[in-house]
Amino acid sequence: MEWVIPAIFVVLLVWLVMIYNRMVALRQTTGQAWADVEVQLKQRHDLVPNLVETVKGYAAHERGTLDAVVQARNQATAAPSPEAAGKAEAALTGALGRVFALAEAYPDLKADAGFRQLQSELSDLENKIAAARRFFNNAVQEYNTSTEQFPAIILAKNAGFMRMEFFALAEAERAAAETPPSVKF
Amino acid sequence: MRAIGLSTQVWNNNWRCGMLLAGFPLLLALLLFGLSLMAAEGGGGFAKSWHLAVRQFPLFLLWGGAAAAIWFGIAWLGHQRMLDVATGTLPVTREGEPDLWNSLENLCISRGETMPRLGIIETKALNAFASGLKRSEGTVTVTRGLLGALNPAELRAVLAHELAHIRNGDARLGVIAAIFAGILSLVAEVLLRGRFRTSLIRGGGGNNRRGGGLAAILGIVLILLAAGLGTALRFALSRNREFQADAMAVQITGEPDALITALRRIEGHSSMPEVPAQIRAMFFDDAALALGARFWATHPPIEERVAALVRFAGGRDPGPTPPPGPGGRRAQTGAP
Repeated sequence: MEWVIPAIFVVLLVWLVMIYNRMVALRQTTGQAWADVEVQLKQRHDLVPNLVETVKGYAAHERGTLDAVVQARNQATAAPSPEAAGKAEAALTGALGRVFALAEAYPDLKADAGFRQLQSELSDLENKIAAARRFFNNAVQEYNTSTEQFPAIILAKNAGFMRMEFFALAEAERAAAETPPSVKF
Repeated sequence: MRAIGLSTQVWNNNWRCGMLLAGFPLLLALLLFGLSLMAAEGGGGFAKSWHLAVRQFPLFLLWGGAAAAIWFGIAWLGHQRMLDVATGTLPVTREGEPDLWNSLENLCISRGETMPRLGIIETKALNAFASGLKRSEGTVTVTRGLLGALNPAELRAVLAHELAHIRNGDARLGVIAAIFAGILSLVAEVLLRGRFRTSLIRGGGGNNRRGGGLAAILGIVLILLAAGLGTALRFALSRNREFQADAMAVQITGEPDALITALRRIEGHSSMPEVPAQIRAMFFDDAALALGARFWATHPPIEERVAALVRFAGGRDPGPTPPPGPGGRRAQTGAP
Protein backbone atom coordinates (compact mmCIF):
# COMPACT_ATOMS: atom_id res chain seq x y z
CA MET A 1 0.00 0.00 0.00
CA GLU A 2 2.99 2.30 -0.24
CA TRP A 3 1.60 3.83 -3.42
CA VAL A 4 -1.30 5.48 -1.55
CA ILE A 5 0.62 8.49 -0.26
CA PRO A 6 2.23 9.38 -3.59
CA ALA A 7 -1.17 8.95 -5.25
CA ILE A 8 -2.84 11.35 -2.83
CA PHE A 9 0.03 13.76 -3.38
CA VAL A 10 -0.40 13.62 -7.16
CA VAL A 11 -4.16 14.13 -6.92
CA LEU A 12 -3.65 17.13 -4.65
CA LEU A 13 -1.09 18.58 -7.01
CA VAL A 14 -3.37 18.18 -10.02
CA TRP A 15 -6.15 19.81 -8.06
CA LEU A 16 -3.99 22.79 -7.12
CA VAL A 17 -2.85 23.21 -10.70
CA MET A 18 -6.47 23.17 -11.82
CA ILE A 19 -7.49 25.84 -9.31
CA TYR A 20 -4.53 27.98 -10.32
CA ASN A 21 -5.30 27.66 -14.03
CA ARG A 22 -8.92 28.54 -13.43
CA MET A 23 -7.96 31.71 -11.62
CA VAL A 24 -5.64 32.64 -14.47
CA ALA A 25 -8.42 32.05 -17.00
CA LEU A 26 -10.88 34.16 -15.01
CA ARG A 27 -8.36 36.99 -14.70
CA GLN A 28 -7.79 36.79 -18.44
CA THR A 29 -11.53 37.13 -19.05
CA THR A 30 -11.73 40.27 -16.94
CA GLY A 31 -8.80 41.71 -18.90
CA GLN A 32 -10.56 41.02 -22.17
CA ALA A 33 -13.82 42.45 -20.87
CA TRP A 34 -12.02 45.62 -19.76
CA ALA A 35 -10.43 45.97 -23.18
CA ASP A 36 -13.92 45.83 -24.68
CA VAL A 37 -15.09 48.57 -22.31
CA GLU A 38 -12.08 50.71 -23.21
CA VAL A 39 -12.77 50.42 -26.92
CA GLN A 40 -16.23 51.90 -26.38
CA LEU A 41 -14.95 54.57 -23.98
CA LYS A 42 -12.30 55.65 -26.44
CA GLN A 43 -14.87 56.03 -29.19
CA ARG A 44 -16.89 58.26 -26.90
CA HIS A 45 -13.86 60.36 -25.99
CA ASP A 46 -13.00 60.77 -29.66
CA LEU A 47 -16.44 62.16 -30.42
CA VAL A 48 -16.30 64.90 -27.78
CA PRO A 49 -13.99 67.34 -29.68
CA ASN A 50 -16.25 67.06 -32.75
CA LEU A 51 -19.24 67.82 -30.61
CA VAL A 52 -17.56 70.85 -29.03
CA GLU A 53 -16.59 72.22 -32.47
CA THR A 54 -20.12 71.77 -33.78
CA VAL A 55 -21.71 73.49 -30.79
CA LYS A 56 -19.21 76.35 -30.94
CA GLY A 57 -20.46 77.20 -34.40
CA TYR A 58 -23.89 78.05 -32.99
CA ALA A 59 -23.32 78.89 -29.34
CA ALA A 60 -19.76 80.09 -29.00
CA HIS A 61 -20.43 82.10 -25.86
CA GLU A 62 -21.53 79.05 -23.84
CA ARG A 63 -17.90 78.69 -22.86
CA GLY A 64 -18.55 77.36 -19.37
CA THR A 65 -20.56 74.35 -20.50
CA LEU A 66 -18.15 73.53 -23.31
CA ASP A 67 -15.07 73.84 -21.14
CA ALA A 68 -16.66 71.58 -18.57
CA VAL A 69 -17.16 68.88 -21.22
CA VAL A 70 -13.58 69.16 -22.45
CA GLN A 71 -12.29 68.99 -18.92
CA ALA A 72 -14.47 65.99 -18.05
CA ARG A 73 -13.30 64.28 -21.20
CA ASN A 74 -9.63 64.87 -20.39
CA GLN A 75 -10.11 63.52 -16.90
CA ALA A 76 -11.87 60.45 -18.28
CA THR A 77 -9.07 59.72 -20.76
CA ALA A 78 -6.52 59.94 -17.96
CA ALA A 79 -8.41 57.75 -15.49
CA PRO A 80 -5.93 55.16 -14.19
CA SER A 81 -8.27 52.41 -12.94
CA PRO A 82 -11.74 51.01 -13.59
CA GLU A 83 -13.07 52.62 -10.44
CA ALA A 84 -11.64 56.06 -11.30
CA ALA A 85 -12.85 55.63 -14.88
CA GLY A 86 -16.32 54.94 -13.56
CA LYS A 87 -16.40 58.27 -11.69
CA ALA A 88 -14.87 60.23 -14.56
CA GLU A 89 -17.25 58.71 -17.10
CA ALA A 90 -20.22 59.59 -14.91
CA ALA A 91 -19.01 63.21 -14.82
CA LEU A 92 -18.58 63.19 -18.59
CA THR A 93 -22.09 61.85 -19.06
CA GLY A 94 -23.43 64.67 -16.91
CA ALA A 95 -21.46 67.32 -18.84
CA LEU A 96 -22.61 65.90 -22.17
CA GLY A 97 -26.18 66.02 -20.93
CA ARG A 98 -25.82 69.77 -20.29
CA VAL A 99 -24.46 70.30 -23.81
CA PHE A 100 -27.43 68.52 -25.33
CA ALA A 101 -29.72 70.59 -23.10
CA LEU A 102 -28.20 73.70 -24.76
CA ALA A 103 -29.72 72.64 -28.04
CA GLU A 104 -33.16 73.46 -26.66
CA ALA A 105 -32.17 77.13 -26.54
CA TYR A 106 -30.58 77.14 -30.03
CA PRO A 107 -33.01 75.86 -32.67
CA ASP A 108 -30.36 76.13 -35.42
CA LEU A 109 -28.04 73.90 -33.44
CA LYS A 110 -30.83 71.44 -32.80
CA ALA A 111 -31.55 71.27 -36.53
CA ASP A 112 -27.89 70.80 -37.53
CA ALA A 113 -27.46 67.42 -39.23
CA GLY A 114 -23.96 66.93 -37.84
CA PHE A 115 -25.16 67.67 -34.32
CA ARG A 116 -28.03 65.22 -34.56
CA GLN A 117 -25.69 62.58 -35.94
CA LEU A 118 -23.31 63.10 -33.01
CA GLN A 119 -26.18 62.99 -30.55
CA SER A 120 -27.44 59.65 -31.83
CA GLU A 121 -23.92 58.22 -32.01
CA LEU A 122 -23.23 59.23 -28.44
CA SER A 123 -26.45 57.81 -27.10
CA ASP A 124 -25.79 54.59 -28.99
CA LEU A 125 -22.30 54.47 -27.47
CA GLU A 126 -23.74 55.01 -24.02
CA ASN A 127 -25.87 51.89 -24.42
CA LYS A 128 -22.88 49.92 -25.61
CA ILE A 129 -20.78 51.15 -22.72
CA ALA A 130 -23.51 50.11 -20.29
CA ALA A 131 -23.60 46.61 -21.78
CA ALA A 132 -19.81 46.25 -21.83
CA ARG A 133 -19.67 47.55 -18.25
CA ARG A 134 -22.16 44.92 -17.11
CA PHE A 135 -20.18 42.17 -18.83
CA PHE A 136 -16.97 43.41 -17.24
CA ASN A 137 -18.46 43.68 -13.75
CA ASN A 138 -19.90 40.21 -14.08
CA ALA A 139 -16.46 38.83 -14.98
CA VAL A 140 -14.86 40.74 -12.10
CA GLN A 141 -17.40 39.37 -9.69
CA GLU A 142 -16.77 35.82 -10.86
CA TYR A 143 -13.02 36.34 -10.55
CA ASN A 144 -13.24 37.95 -7.11
CA THR A 145 -15.58 35.32 -5.74
CA SER A 146 -13.53 32.41 -6.98
CA THR A 147 -10.29 33.82 -5.61
CA GLU A 148 -11.91 34.31 -2.23
CA GLN A 149 -13.44 30.86 -1.91
CA PHE A 150 -11.79 28.54 0.54
CA PRO A 151 -9.15 26.40 -1.08
CA ALA A 152 -8.40 28.99 -3.75
CA ILE A 153 -7.81 31.85 -1.34
CA ILE A 154 -4.62 30.30 0.06
CA LEU A 155 -3.21 29.96 -3.43
CA ALA A 156 -4.51 33.37 -4.50
CA LYS A 157 -2.82 35.15 -1.58
CA ASN A 158 0.54 33.61 -2.37
CA ALA A 159 0.39 33.80 -6.14
CA GLY A 160 -0.69 37.45 -6.31
CA PHE A 161 -4.27 37.17 -7.48
CA MET A 162 -5.44 40.56 -6.24
CA ARG A 163 -9.02 41.59 -5.74
CA MET A 164 -10.22 43.61 -8.74
CA GLU A 165 -12.19 46.83 -8.87
CA PHE A 166 -15.59 47.12 -10.44
CA PHE A 167 -16.29 49.69 -13.12
CA ALA A 168 -18.78 51.54 -10.96
CA LEU A 169 -21.02 54.39 -11.93
CA ALA A 170 -22.20 57.26 -9.76
CA GLU A 171 -25.56 56.76 -8.07
CA ALA A 172 -27.62 58.97 -10.38
CA GLU A 173 -26.39 57.28 -13.49
CA ARG A 174 -26.68 53.83 -12.01
CA ALA A 175 -30.41 54.34 -11.59
CA ALA A 176 -30.67 55.33 -15.24
CA ALA A 177 -28.50 52.44 -16.41
CA GLU A 178 -30.43 49.88 -14.44
CA THR A 179 -33.87 50.66 -15.83
CA PRO A 180 -34.29 48.33 -18.78
CA PRO A 181 -34.03 50.15 -22.08
CA SER A 182 -37.32 50.28 -23.91
CA VAL A 183 -37.39 48.11 -27.00
CA LYS A 184 -38.76 49.87 -30.07
CA PHE A 185 -39.39 48.34 -33.44
CA MET B 1 -17.64 23.64 -7.19
CA ARG B 2 -20.67 25.88 -7.58
CA ALA B 3 -21.08 28.06 -10.62
CA ILE B 4 -20.79 31.77 -9.82
CA GLY B 5 -20.51 33.23 -13.28
CA LEU B 6 -20.19 32.43 -16.95
CA SER B 7 -16.81 30.73 -16.95
CA THR B 8 -17.54 28.56 -13.95
CA GLN B 9 -20.87 27.61 -15.49
CA VAL B 10 -19.10 26.50 -18.66
CA TRP B 11 -16.60 24.44 -16.66
CA ASN B 12 -19.30 22.80 -14.57
CA ASN B 13 -21.25 21.93 -17.68
CA ASN B 14 -18.21 20.30 -19.23
CA TRP B 15 -17.65 18.22 -16.14
CA ARG B 16 -21.28 17.13 -15.96
CA CYS B 17 -21.21 16.30 -19.64
CA GLY B 18 -18.16 14.06 -19.20
CA MET B 19 -19.91 12.21 -16.39
CA LEU B 20 -23.02 11.69 -18.49
CA LEU B 21 -21.02 10.47 -21.46
CA ALA B 22 -19.21 7.95 -19.27
CA GLY B 23 -22.63 6.51 -18.43
CA PHE B 24 -23.15 5.09 -21.92
CA PRO B 25 -20.46 2.36 -21.83
CA LEU B 26 -21.71 1.41 -18.38
CA LEU B 27 -25.25 1.06 -19.70
CA LEU B 28 -23.99 -0.99 -22.64
CA ALA B 29 -22.25 -3.29 -20.16
CA LEU B 30 -25.47 -3.52 -18.14
CA LEU B 31 -27.38 -4.45 -21.27
CA LEU B 32 -24.83 -7.11 -22.21
CA PHE B 33 -25.00 -8.58 -18.74
CA GLY B 34 -28.78 -8.76 -19.08
CA LEU B 35 -28.29 -10.60 -22.38
CA SER B 36 -25.81 -12.91 -20.72
CA LEU B 37 -28.35 -13.70 -18.00
CA MET B 38 -31.03 -14.45 -20.57
CA ALA B 39 -28.70 -16.71 -22.49
CA ALA B 40 -27.73 -18.53 -19.31
CA GLU B 41 -31.29 -19.50 -18.49
CA GLY B 42 -31.73 -23.24 -18.27
CA GLY B 43 -32.24 -25.98 -15.73
CA GLY B 44 -30.45 -25.87 -12.39
CA GLY B 45 -31.92 -22.89 -10.58
CA PHE B 46 -31.15 -19.23 -10.35
CA ALA B 47 -27.74 -19.52 -8.66
CA LYS B 48 -26.39 -21.73 -11.42
CA SER B 49 -27.69 -19.46 -14.17
CA TRP B 50 -26.19 -16.44 -12.39
CA HIS B 51 -22.77 -18.08 -12.19
CA LEU B 52 -22.88 -19.07 -15.83
CA ALA B 53 -23.92 -15.54 -16.77
CA VAL B 54 -21.02 -14.03 -14.83
CA ARG B 55 -18.57 -16.51 -16.36
CA GLN B 56 -19.59 -15.84 -19.95
CA PHE B 57 -19.92 -12.07 -19.43
CA PRO B 58 -16.42 -11.18 -20.77
CA LEU B 59 -17.24 -12.96 -24.01
CA PHE B 60 -20.49 -10.99 -24.29
CA LEU B 61 -18.61 -7.78 -23.61
CA LEU B 62 -16.20 -8.57 -26.42
CA TRP B 63 -18.83 -9.43 -29.04
CA GLY B 64 -21.23 -6.75 -27.96
CA GLY B 65 -18.49 -4.14 -28.03
CA ALA B 66 -17.45 -5.19 -31.52
CA ALA B 67 -21.04 -5.08 -32.81
CA ALA B 68 -21.56 -1.63 -31.30
CA ALA B 69 -18.34 -0.40 -32.93
CA ILE B 70 -19.46 -1.57 -36.38
CA TRP B 71 -22.86 0.07 -35.94
CA PHE B 72 -21.10 3.21 -34.89
CA GLY B 73 -19.02 3.32 -38.04
CA ILE B 74 -22.03 2.93 -40.33
CA ALA B 75 -24.15 5.54 -38.56
CA TRP B 76 -21.23 7.98 -38.53
CA LEU B 77 -20.72 7.82 -42.27
CA GLY B 78 -24.39 8.20 -43.15
CA HIS B 79 -25.05 11.09 -40.80
CA GLN B 80 -24.51 14.25 -42.85
CA ARG B 81 -26.41 13.06 -45.92
CA MET B 82 -29.41 12.05 -43.85
CA LEU B 83 -29.41 15.48 -42.21
CA ASP B 84 -29.37 17.49 -45.45
CA VAL B 85 -32.17 15.47 -46.98
CA ALA B 86 -34.38 15.45 -43.90
CA THR B 87 -34.32 19.20 -43.16
CA GLY B 88 -34.49 20.61 -46.69
CA THR B 89 -31.55 22.95 -46.12
CA LEU B 90 -30.52 25.27 -48.97
CA PRO B 91 -27.00 26.71 -49.11
CA VAL B 92 -26.58 30.47 -48.60
CA THR B 93 -24.09 32.68 -50.43
CA ARG B 94 -22.60 36.01 -49.39
CA GLU B 95 -24.51 37.73 -52.20
CA GLY B 96 -27.80 36.09 -51.29
CA GLU B 97 -27.90 37.10 -47.62
CA PRO B 98 -25.14 39.66 -47.01
CA ASP B 99 -26.30 40.69 -43.51
CA LEU B 100 -26.56 37.14 -42.27
CA TRP B 101 -23.27 36.21 -43.86
CA ASN B 102 -21.44 39.21 -42.39
CA SER B 103 -22.82 38.63 -38.89
CA LEU B 104 -21.54 35.08 -38.87
CA GLU B 105 -18.25 35.98 -40.49
CA ASN B 106 -17.58 38.72 -37.93
CA LEU B 107 -18.21 36.30 -35.09
CA CYS B 108 -15.87 33.77 -36.66
CA ILE B 109 -13.13 36.33 -37.25
CA SER B 110 -13.31 37.57 -33.68
CA ARG B 111 -12.77 34.01 -32.43
CA GLY B 112 -10.38 32.77 -35.11
CA GLU B 113 -12.79 30.12 -36.32
CA THR B 114 -13.13 28.87 -39.86
CA MET B 115 -16.36 30.13 -41.36
CA PRO B 116 -18.88 27.29 -41.32
CA ARG B 117 -21.18 26.61 -44.25
CA LEU B 118 -24.35 28.64 -44.00
CA GLY B 119 -27.78 27.23 -44.81
CA ILE B 120 -31.34 28.42 -44.76
CA ILE B 121 -34.69 26.67 -44.42
CA GLU B 122 -37.64 28.40 -46.06
CA THR B 123 -40.15 28.29 -43.23
CA LYS B 124 -41.90 30.80 -41.02
CA ALA B 125 -40.86 28.96 -37.86
CA LEU B 126 -38.16 30.66 -35.74
CA ASN B 127 -35.28 28.26 -35.31
CA ALA B 128 -31.67 27.47 -36.16
CA PHE B 129 -29.30 24.55 -35.91
CA ALA B 130 -25.67 23.55 -36.18
CA SER B 131 -24.34 20.33 -37.60
CA GLY B 132 -21.08 18.81 -38.71
CA LEU B 133 -19.09 15.97 -37.20
CA LYS B 134 -15.81 17.80 -37.56
CA ARG B 135 -15.09 21.26 -36.26
CA SER B 136 -13.75 22.37 -39.62
CA GLU B 137 -16.81 21.12 -41.51
CA GLY B 138 -19.60 22.76 -39.57
CA THR B 139 -22.86 24.06 -40.98
CA VAL B 140 -25.03 26.73 -39.38
CA THR B 141 -28.60 26.75 -40.63
CA VAL B 142 -31.28 29.31 -39.82
CA THR B 143 -34.92 29.56 -40.82
CA ARG B 144 -36.29 32.40 -42.96
CA GLY B 145 -38.67 33.30 -40.15
CA LEU B 146 -35.75 33.91 -37.82
CA LEU B 147 -34.19 36.48 -40.17
CA GLY B 148 -37.41 38.47 -40.21
CA ALA B 149 -38.08 38.38 -36.49
CA LEU B 150 -34.75 39.18 -34.84
CA ASN B 151 -32.74 42.40 -34.76
CA PRO B 152 -29.01 42.24 -35.64
CA ALA B 153 -27.86 41.79 -32.03
CA GLU B 154 -30.34 38.99 -31.43
CA LEU B 155 -29.41 37.27 -34.67
CA ARG B 156 -25.77 37.54 -33.63
CA ALA B 157 -26.63 35.88 -30.31
CA VAL B 158 -28.36 32.97 -32.03
CA LEU B 159 -25.49 32.55 -34.51
CA ALA B 160 -23.00 32.62 -31.62
CA HIS B 161 -25.03 29.91 -29.88
CA GLU B 162 -24.78 27.72 -32.99
CA LEU B 163 -21.10 28.55 -33.41
CA ALA B 164 -20.58 27.45 -29.80
CA HIS B 165 -22.19 24.11 -30.66
CA ILE B 166 -19.69 23.68 -33.49
CA ARG B 167 -16.72 24.74 -31.36
CA ASN B 168 -17.78 22.28 -28.66
CA GLY B 169 -18.32 19.45 -31.11
CA ASP B 170 -21.89 19.10 -29.88
CA ALA B 171 -23.14 17.72 -33.18
CA ARG B 172 -20.63 14.92 -32.78
CA LEU B 173 -21.63 14.44 -29.17
CA GLY B 174 -25.30 14.35 -30.14
CA VAL B 175 -24.64 11.71 -32.79
CA ILE B 176 -22.66 9.60 -30.33
CA ALA B 177 -25.45 9.85 -27.77
CA ALA B 178 -28.12 9.08 -30.37
CA ILE B 179 -26.24 6.01 -31.61
CA PHE B 180 -25.70 4.67 -28.10
CA ALA B 181 -29.30 5.27 -27.09
CA GLY B 182 -30.39 3.73 -30.40
CA ILE B 183 -28.35 0.58 -29.85
CA LEU B 184 -29.69 0.18 -26.33
CA SER B 185 -33.34 0.63 -27.20
CA LEU B 186 -33.17 -1.41 -30.41
CA VAL B 187 -31.61 -4.40 -28.67
CA ALA B 188 -34.25 -4.14 -25.95
CA GLU B 189 -37.06 -3.95 -28.47
CA VAL B 190 -35.90 -6.82 -30.69
CA LEU B 191 -35.19 -9.06 -27.75
CA LEU B 192 -38.40 -8.42 -25.92
CA ARG B 193 -40.48 -9.01 -29.01
CA GLY B 194 -38.71 -12.27 -29.75
CA ARG B 195 -38.94 -13.30 -26.13
CA PHE B 196 -42.66 -12.70 -25.82
CA ARG B 197 -43.32 -14.58 -29.00
CA THR B 198 -41.38 -17.66 -27.89
CA SER B 199 -42.95 -17.63 -24.46
CA LEU B 200 -46.38 -17.44 -26.05
CA ILE B 201 -45.61 -20.44 -28.25
CA ARG B 202 -44.32 -22.39 -25.32
CA GLY B 203 -47.38 -21.48 -23.32
CA GLY B 204 -45.70 -19.28 -20.76
CA GLY B 205 -42.75 -21.52 -19.98
CA GLY B 206 -42.77 -24.77 -18.04
CA ASN B 207 -42.73 -25.39 -14.30
CA ASN B 208 -39.47 -27.27 -14.54
CA ARG B 209 -37.62 -24.16 -15.63
CA ARG B 210 -38.62 -21.78 -12.89
CA GLY B 211 -35.07 -21.01 -11.64
CA GLY B 212 -33.80 -20.29 -15.12
CA GLY B 213 -36.91 -18.21 -15.78
CA LEU B 214 -36.05 -15.99 -12.87
CA ALA B 215 -32.60 -15.31 -14.34
CA ALA B 216 -34.18 -14.49 -17.69
CA ILE B 217 -36.65 -12.11 -16.07
CA LEU B 218 -33.83 -10.36 -14.24
CA GLY B 219 -32.02 -10.17 -17.57
CA ILE B 220 -35.03 -8.55 -19.21
CA VAL B 221 -35.36 -6.05 -16.38
CA LEU B 222 -31.70 -5.10 -16.74
CA ILE B 223 -32.05 -4.67 -20.49
CA LEU B 224 -35.15 -2.51 -20.08
CA LEU B 225 -33.40 -0.46 -17.44
CA ALA B 226 -30.38 0.06 -19.67
CA ALA B 227 -32.57 1.09 -22.61
CA GLY B 228 -34.64 3.54 -20.55
CA LEU B 229 -31.65 5.10 -18.85
CA GLY B 230 -29.85 5.32 -22.19
CA THR B 231 -32.60 7.51 -23.64
CA ALA B 232 -32.84 9.63 -20.49
CA LEU B 233 -29.06 10.07 -20.53
CA ARG B 234 -29.13 11.17 -24.14
CA PHE B 235 -31.72 13.84 -23.42
CA ALA B 236 -29.96 15.02 -20.27
CA LEU B 237 -26.78 15.39 -22.29
CA SER B 238 -28.58 17.37 -24.96
CA ARG B 239 -30.16 19.74 -22.40
CA ASN B 240 -26.82 20.23 -20.74
CA ARG B 241 -25.23 21.22 -24.06
CA GLU B 242 -27.91 23.85 -24.65
CA PHE B 243 -27.04 25.62 -21.40
CA GLN B 244 -23.41 25.32 -22.39
CA ALA B 245 -23.94 26.85 -25.83
CA ASP B 246 -25.99 29.70 -24.32
CA ALA B 247 -23.19 30.50 -21.88
CA MET B 248 -20.53 30.37 -24.57
CA ALA B 249 -22.60 32.48 -26.93
CA VAL B 250 -22.57 35.24 -24.32
CA GLN B 251 -18.83 34.79 -23.87
CA ILE B 252 -18.45 35.34 -27.61
CA THR B 253 -20.83 38.29 -28.05
CA GLY B 254 -20.75 39.80 -24.57
CA GLU B 255 -24.45 40.59 -24.95
CA PRO B 256 -26.56 38.47 -22.60
CA ASP B 257 -29.61 40.67 -23.12
CA ALA B 258 -29.71 40.03 -26.86
CA LEU B 259 -29.72 36.27 -26.33
CA ILE B 260 -32.48 36.60 -23.74
CA THR B 261 -34.72 38.65 -26.01
CA ALA B 262 -33.96 36.26 -28.90
CA LEU B 263 -35.06 33.34 -26.72
CA ARG B 264 -38.16 35.25 -25.65
CA ARG B 265 -39.08 36.02 -29.26
CA ILE B 266 -38.55 32.45 -30.36
CA GLU B 267 -40.54 31.11 -27.42
CA GLY B 268 -43.62 29.40 -28.77
CA HIS B 269 -42.70 29.99 -32.44
CA SER B 270 -39.98 27.41 -32.91
CA SER B 271 -42.17 24.45 -33.83
CA MET B 272 -41.10 22.59 -36.97
CA PRO B 273 -43.25 19.47 -37.01
CA GLU B 274 -42.12 18.54 -40.52
CA VAL B 275 -38.61 17.77 -39.29
CA PRO B 276 -38.01 14.34 -37.69
CA ALA B 277 -37.69 14.38 -33.89
CA GLN B 278 -34.18 12.90 -34.04
CA ILE B 279 -32.98 16.00 -35.87
CA ARG B 280 -35.04 18.53 -33.92
CA ALA B 281 -32.82 17.69 -30.94
CA MET B 282 -30.09 19.70 -32.67
CA PHE B 283 -32.14 22.86 -33.14
CA PHE B 284 -31.95 26.14 -31.22
CA ASP B 285 -35.19 25.34 -29.44
CA ASP B 286 -37.37 22.25 -29.39
CA ALA B 287 -40.21 22.61 -26.95
CA ALA B 288 -41.42 19.48 -25.20
CA LEU B 289 -45.00 18.77 -26.15
CA ALA B 290 -46.56 17.49 -22.96
CA LEU B 291 -46.45 19.12 -19.56
CA GLY B 292 -44.19 17.27 -17.16
CA ALA B 293 -42.22 15.99 -20.12
CA ARG B 294 -39.09 17.85 -19.00
CA PHE B 295 -37.23 14.67 -18.35
CA TRP B 296 -37.80 13.52 -21.91
CA ALA B 297 -37.03 16.84 -23.56
CA THR B 298 -33.92 17.53 -25.62
CA HIS B 299 -34.02 21.24 -24.72
CA PRO B 300 -34.49 22.92 -21.36
CA PRO B 301 -37.55 25.17 -21.14
CA ILE B 302 -36.84 28.73 -22.35
CA GLU B 303 -37.73 29.93 -18.84
CA GLU B 304 -34.78 28.00 -17.39
CA ARG B 305 -32.36 29.07 -20.09
CA VAL B 306 -33.27 32.70 -19.46
CA ALA B 307 -32.94 32.19 -15.70
CA ALA B 308 -29.44 30.78 -16.17
CA LEU B 309 -28.47 33.77 -18.33
CA VAL B 310 -29.78 36.19 -15.74
CA ARG B 311 -28.00 34.40 -12.93
CA PHE B 312 -24.63 33.65 -14.50
CA ALA B 313 -24.27 36.20 -17.28
CA GLY B 314 -25.90 39.19 -15.57
CA GLY B 315 -28.57 39.53 -18.24
CA ARG B 316 -31.92 41.29 -17.90
CA ASP B 317 -35.14 39.50 -18.70
CA PRO B 318 -37.89 41.63 -20.25
CA GLY B 319 -40.39 38.81 -19.65
CA PRO B 320 -42.43 37.09 -22.33
CA THR B 321 -41.97 39.12 -25.50
CA PRO B 322 -44.80 39.45 -28.00
CA PRO B 323 -44.21 37.66 -31.28
CA PRO B 324 -42.99 39.75 -34.18
CA GLY B 325 -45.80 41.43 -36.05
CA PRO B 326 -47.18 40.00 -39.28
CA GLY B 327 -44.30 39.73 -41.72
CA GLY B 328 -41.74 40.76 -39.12
CA ARG B 329 -39.70 43.92 -39.42
CA ARG B 330 -38.05 42.89 -42.63
CA ALA B 331 -41.46 42.43 -44.12
CA GLN B 332 -41.93 40.04 -47.02
CA THR B 333 -38.30 39.16 -47.68
CA GLY B 334 -39.42 36.07 -49.53
CA ALA B 335 -40.64 33.06 -47.56
CA PRO B 336 -43.63 31.36 -49.12
